[in-house]
Amino acid sequence: MGSPCHFALFDLQPSFRLDLEQLAVRYRDLARTVHPDRFADAPDREQRLALEHSASLNEAYSTLKSAPKRARYLLALSGPELPLEVTVQDPDFLLQQMHWREELEDLQDSADLAGVATFKCRLKIAQDELHESFAVCWDDSLRRAEAERLMRRMQFLDKLSHEVRQLEERLDD
Amino acid sequence: MALLQIAEPGQSPQPHQRRLAVGIDLGTTNSLVAALRSGLSEPIADAAGQVILPSAVRYHADHVEVGEAARLAASADPLNTVLSVKRLMGRGLADVKQLGEQLPYRFVDGESHMPFIDTVQGPKSPVEVSADILKVLRLRAEAALGGELVGAVITVPAYFDDSQRQATKDAARLAGLNVLRLLNEPTAAAVAYGLDQHAEGVVAIYDLGGGTFDISILRLTGGVFEVMATGGDSALGGDDFDHAIAGWIIEQAGLSADLDPGEQRSLLQAACVAKETLTSCATAQLSHGAWQGQLSREQFEALIEPMLARSLKACRRAVRDAGIELEEVQAVVMVGGSTRVPRVRQVVAEMFAREPLTDIDPDQVVAIGAAIQADALAGNKRADGDELLLLDVIPLSLGLETMGGLMEKVIPRNTTIPVARAQDFTTYKDGQTAMMIHVLQGERELISDCRSLARFELRGIPPMVAGAAKIRVTFQVDADGLLGVAARELASGVEASIQVKPSYGLTDGEIARMLQDSFKNAGDDKVARVLRELQVDAQRLIEAVEAALQADGERLLDADERLAIDAQMQQLRELMVGNDGLAIEQQTKRLTQLTDAFAARRLDATVKAALAGRSLNEIEE
Repeated sequence: MGSPCHFALFDLQPSFRLDLEQLAVRYRDLARTVHPDRFADAPDREQRLALEHSASLNEAYSTLKSAPKRARYLLALSGPELPLEVTVQDPDFLLQQMHWREELEDLQDSADLAGVATFKCRLKIAQDELHESFAVCWDDSLRRAEAERLMRRMQFLDKLSHEVRQLEERLDD
Repeated sequence: MALLQIAEPGQSPQPHQRRLAVGIDLGTTNSLVAALRSGLSEPIADAAGQVILPSAVRYHADHVEVGEAARLAASADPLNTVLSVKRLMGRGLADVKQLGEQLPYRFVDGESHMPFIDTVQGPKSPVEVSADILKVLRLRAEAALGGELVGAVITVPAYFDDSQRQATKDAARLAGLNVLRLLNEPTAAAVAYGLDQHAEGVVAIYDLGGGTFDISILRLTGGVFEVMATGGDSALGGDDFDHAIAGWIIEQAGLSADLDPGEQRSLLQAACVAKETLTSCATAQLSHGAWQGQLSREQFEALIEPMLARSLKACRRAVRDAGIELEEVQAVVMVGGSTRVPRVRQVVAEMFAREPLTDIDPDQVVAIGAAIQADALAGNKRADGDELLLLDVIPLSLGLETMGGLMEKVIPRNTTIPVARAQDFTTYKDGQTAMMIHVLQGERELISDCRSLARFELRGIPPMVAGAAKIRVTFQVDADGLLGVAARELASGVEASIQVKPSYGLTDGEIARMLQDSFKNAGDDKVARVLRELQVDAQRLIEAVEAALQADGERLLDADERLAIDAQMQQLRELMVGNDGLAIEQQTKRLTQLTDAFAARRLDATVKAALAGRSLNEIEE
């Protein structure tokens, strides 16, 4: 589909570093102009156009405001399409993944809510560090392979934080 | 002969007239309608001064009774009196029975899976019963406001699934209402509070009604109401408190649980009275037949504790889904009649560690908020110039059935709407030419644990080896939270598209028949009504194009385009006063086609203008 680039929609240059507050402000301004509520009493055609515009605006916003999605989108913009799931050649990180998972399982077995909270804090720090590494790496066009590896790491940590949330829900029963 | 008044082109005859629109809270126990009058949103009372209309409908052989009188007749005439019909909306009979309720109706099968209630007037679907309630409110509003309504905003529980929403929209249509928007009840309440108190920041709306529970977490920023997460239980409410008390009486009095419909009703009414008494008293006296007893507030609180625990769990989940911590919630708003129960307020206050807000009547706040939104949607400018924007989400994930009876999520819950998302699938057998698409809603992995919304078939896939075909299924959820699905095979372009007619909804045939019946009953001439609708559509389009031309005609159209549009408008204007419905329809369509490109250019220009409105130095860091 010939849809415009997510960054262009917000009148931004493709970049990993992004001021999320500003993005939110701009999103709200744009949403005000294209939201179907502005066209609730307009003819069907205007309503349909507004629906399409709003849907792509929401899609763009949800991609850009999430760091792993933004990283993946940037890589896709500049190179061949990336498969969603691949076996990553990243032995160091593989080991770290196993540690994270084991820890999470232990927390589940012991139903340790305080432990979960600490785990969440550490996860957040690891994510922030990873975002910074990606940002630095992204600025250097020669380090694309490394950028892709970092993006995969970001995806994993994102998935892990989902699992933490699911664990919290199970422990809430 | 009186002279006809003709307004100057491009101007409506009465430029300052407000367009009439209302907000309707179609509740499980009570319903009400509100409108903005002299800048203030308030409920509209009936001739007797009553604002609240009990959601009770009693069918007599020759007429329909709605409201308090019907509610009072419930035990005397249980089979023809329908209460809490909202709990049946968009549900199958099996679902309803699963709710564990004993319903005192005789159900009959319809064409669809929706349970029809057998009454003296014949079988009635829950949609028709709801339409009867809405009709009373529409007439009340038209009488009070003195004119025909442009449209209405109807509120629904945020946790309503697609079938329940569709059923509500069908009911409004049947009641002769133009639905400007289905609005989530907690969001409507947030609008009422947010505008009233100029609130900013993160707000939680705890909405416990007669039959449904919703929790929504919103971020308020300068007139924008952004729902961060929503959750709840579309089968939890004050009715369940009544059922719990009734169960307790049955146990205490040693009754058999198999009561006849009339007895069941009077037992539930006694339970409801006891519940309300316990809001202000420490004990309530109860009697049922020969049995007499006393229920203390502590006993009552113990009875409802498991239900409150369920609601609190949903709150914690919504807070987690919003990606925040409990402490970040800056205000908690109480909505719904059941939040009058002191224990409810207490547990909510404990969890959020702050006193919940109850300033606006919890029974009225939803309708008040809906009326504010209805007024804006009808095209009226707000007096204070603050434009509202409500950004809502889908409450439950949407997905498709894949191999092995598993659900593949395509749009996760709490995604901002409107949303369109595509997912690609492939064939699993060589030469496979058709594919069944089963659309589901829910959070569980197994399809048997999710709600089936609809099935449709994609045919004519060119035969290929297994895995070679690429089928793209696109889900689109509009601003009402209603789903549309389209599927296409990418190599061949074979397309199948459906508006999801839910597994538990009414069939198109059923709706058409009900609409016809309602015309008959209203003594309406169907042909005249159809013509009137076509004229209104044409008028609306002409007004929209005129306004667009005035604003951007010079800038965005060349001379030829402009000439063609002007000519077409003139032709439609001339046709409109006549009664050739077919010609009006055709020429309306032609004007739409002729202005398609112009409309698209205008929207693009608006987007560019919105961006340009931001200063340039903000763009780059």
